[in-house]
Amino acid sequence: MPSSISNFKRRLRLPRLFFRKPTEIETIHGGPPLEYVRPIPPLPWRGMTVAVVLIVIAAASAWELYCRSIGYGPTLHDNEDLWTSARRRVKPESIVIIGDSRGWYDLDLDELQKGLGKRPVQLAMGGSCAYPVLADLANDKTFHGTVICSVVPRLFIAPPGSPPMDHAEKAVRRSHTQTLAQRASEYLDMPLEEHVAFLKPEELTLEGLLKRLPIPNRPCALVSPRLPPYFGTLDRERRARMIEECARPGSELARMIQQIWIPLFSPPPAPTYIPKEQFAKMMGDAINQRFKDVAAAVQKLRARGGKIVFVRFPYSGELEKLEDRETPRAGIWDRVLKDTGVPGIYYEDFPDLAGFNCPEWSHLSAGDSVEFSKRLIPHLRVALEM
Amino acid sequence: MLFNSLTFVVFFVIVVAAYWSIHSWNARKNLLVIASYIFYGAWNPPFAALLFSTTAMDFWLGRQMSRAKGRHSRRVWLVASVCMNLSMLGFFKYGNFLLLNFQWLLARIGVIYQPPHLDILLPVGISFYTFHSLSYTLDIYRDVLKPTKSLRDFVLAVSFFPQLVAGPIVRAGDFLPQLVRPQPLREGQFLWGLLLMTLGLFEKVVLADTMLSGSADRIFTYAGPLIALDSWLGVMAFAGQIFFDFAGYSTCAIGAALCLGFHLKDNFRFPYAAIGFSDFWRRWHISLSTFLRDYLYIPLGGNQVRPVRAGTNLVIVMFLGGLWHGAAWTFVVWGLLHGSYLVVERVLRGLFEHKAWAGTLTTRLLGGFATYAAVCIAWVFFRASDFTVAARMLGGMFGGHPHGDAILSTREMLQIALVTAGMILVHWSLRDSNIETAVMRLPRWITTATWAFMACAIILTQGNSNAFIYFQF
Repeated sequence: MPSSISNFKRRLRLPRLFFRKPTEIETIHGGPPLEYVRPIPPLPWRGMTVAVVLIVIAAASAWELYCRSIGYGPTLHDNEDLWTSARRRVKPESIVIIGDSRGWYDLDLDELQKGLGKRPVQLAMGGSCAYPVLADLANDKTFHGTVICSVVPRLFIAPPGSPPMDHAEKAVRRSHTQTLAQRASEYLDMPLEEHVAFLKPEELTLEGLLKRLPIPNRPCALVSPRLPPYFGTLDRERRARMIEECARPGSELARMIQQIWIPLFSPPPAPTYIPKEQFAKMMGDAINQRFKDVAAAVQKLRARGGKIVFVRFPYSGELEKLEDRETPRAGIWDRVLKDTGVPGIYYEDFPDLAGFNCPEWSHLSAGDSVEFSKRLIPHLRVALEM
Repeated sequence: MLFNSLTFVVFFVIVVAAYWSIHSWNARKNLLVIASYIFYGAWNPPFAALLFSTTAMDFWLGRQMSRAKGRHSRRVWLVASVCMNLSMLGFFKYGNFLLLNFQWLLARIGVIYQPPHLDILLPVGISFYTFHSLSYTLDIYRDVLKPTKSLRDFVLAVSFFPQLVAGPIVRAGDFLPQLVRPQPLREGQFLWGLLLMTLGLFEKVVLADTMLSGSADRIFTYAGPLIALDSWLGVMAFAGQIFFDFAGYSTCAIGAALCLGFHLKDNFRFPYAAIGFSDFWRRWHISLSTFLRDYLYIPLGGNQVRPVRAGTNLVIVMFLGGLWHGAAWTFVVWGLLHGSYLVVERVLRGLFEHKAWAGTLTTRLLGGFATYAAVCIAWVFFRASDFTVAARMLGGMFGGHPHGDAILSTREMLQIALVTAGMILVHWSLRDSNIETAVMRLPRWITTATWAFMACAIILTQGNSNAFIYFQF
């Protein structure tokens, strides 16, 4: 064989990697140590474990008692798995409530069942945009039921990538991709959440407690506005009810939440790295696209015989002024009705719906939600031609 | 099933209780196989079938290899095993990546080709279990391991649930001998395993998820320019997050295995106290670096070749190490960066190793600091979703955006500073030791109080169920 060919072949033997016997040294380094045993520190393990268990039980009990003493009570978490369990209950002809926390707190499922003949499925989520869920229902070819959609304009037009969209999209995604382990976790977590008051993932976690530390920030730091503390409970059907402490007129909790809504409902500052005009145009385009997407989803749903009604639930106080100033009725509400041709119920338009007061400016108390639902039913029946 | 979920706690309690209440060794092993497949199938049941088929193929190929008489036929069986494993990995992990790059290449020569988007779900932990399984045939070929006669034992070695989805990469040769006869539980082994699981969960849910991940995510997803302070803090937060996330998983795996009577080796050894990059890779993801060393670097010639070739070998190994982590060019750049660090270190060592000042404390500290800084710079490519983000981050870190934004709150900055300082302090104080020695030296009441503190802190995080970063690999 010519030497050039032999050299070439030798070079080609690159996966010499596996094709030669390891040297003695390699065998020592690369070979498996067959008798590997981890060292165990010689300590009085039983006594230590008993001490740890007692400390943990004492600390957890003390924390639970303290949390209850300052007004926290047990409730389910509104997470993607609980939403997914509600989504699974949607049947082809179900009545489904979607949208934000006003559709969640202000509607009573028992009253709606009495008035509409079917128990609705509660799919509204706190602080979320209605569109991802509407699109999901529109894309569900088996669904041709009725949708009651709560509209809070700032959330309804939230752009892609914003927290209200992310929140809803995560839940929808989970409903399509939930694993057996996540489903098992859902069933195991619920009994705990129903009995332990300190399980509040938004507030009483280590992260939530650290966020409360009164540390001043740099003037330019971008810090998300604070979310409201615990003010409602949730059951397995995802029916939300305001707790009594918050519903009490003029309570400290209600006043605190009122002050939290203001920055949350104020427009966020425009990013510094995009020229203002360009940003305004981007937002305008995103809002226009949202109207188009909603209209397309509604059309898809109606083509299968589905029905939909938009509802603007009561809000009051300074929040009412802020919302009406930042997202005037003509800008969002009127346009969404016009673009989609869907009937709408604006609480202000009906004297029997307009007299309610929201203790913390954004939601009805549990008692008022029952009365409001009762009064809303005739309007829903008209709008939905039931 | 995530270690940091209530489902796993219930699953683990049931498995451990059943395991220790059974006397038959075979029945125990059967139980662990079933439990491991339930653990894996809880993500996506069909992928359990894929796991089994890969394992069964390697078992059969290992057998054929050991029966083969000539060197040539052994080589054929080995090539079959390597091709089978890597093609499985290639299809599931790199399919879309390869297609996109093929499309890009064709576009460069003017051919417009629209590849079909392959809707491929990545089986969780495929990179890990492929390497578990591959180590078996490689070691049989290298004559350092005899093939097992029991398919069940090999299935258990590959799928043993504590290490199945995110490592450590336990070689069949390390695990199979432990399946020959039951290992008696030594005094304190079970409870030490529980303490290690508590430590691992504490690292994951408290230090990685609660203290660092929010800041790292905010910095790496911010679309605008950032000032140097925020950029560096964001990268340091990620450096801590990925360590606590992955080391936490490995510690949990080691602890869970100990509770069941099995011994897994350390996967991390205080890596942020490394002085130099070869030292770093002896401390970071040890099971991967030793895998690459034994099955790739040494067969390529290791350092027993000319310096240029040895340097090239290092770069090749780190290139593949980068690609192993993910199907994206950012991971490749991360690997190449580490490869070049290793080459530069080798050159510098050759030049200065014997100088008197090379071993002084100051030099060592400076070396450690430089290593940490360089590792952080490489993490930018590991975490960034694309090169635009990476360029923006590096620009911020090196003063390119003096008028950029400052987005972190004082609390977040304090959290990053405190956790990073604590982490580096612990790593330096234990760099030549191990966790067992540290625990033995501590007064018992401190160990007890620390254990209780970690357990309380985990409860206080309320089952934060973020997935482990390394699951995606």
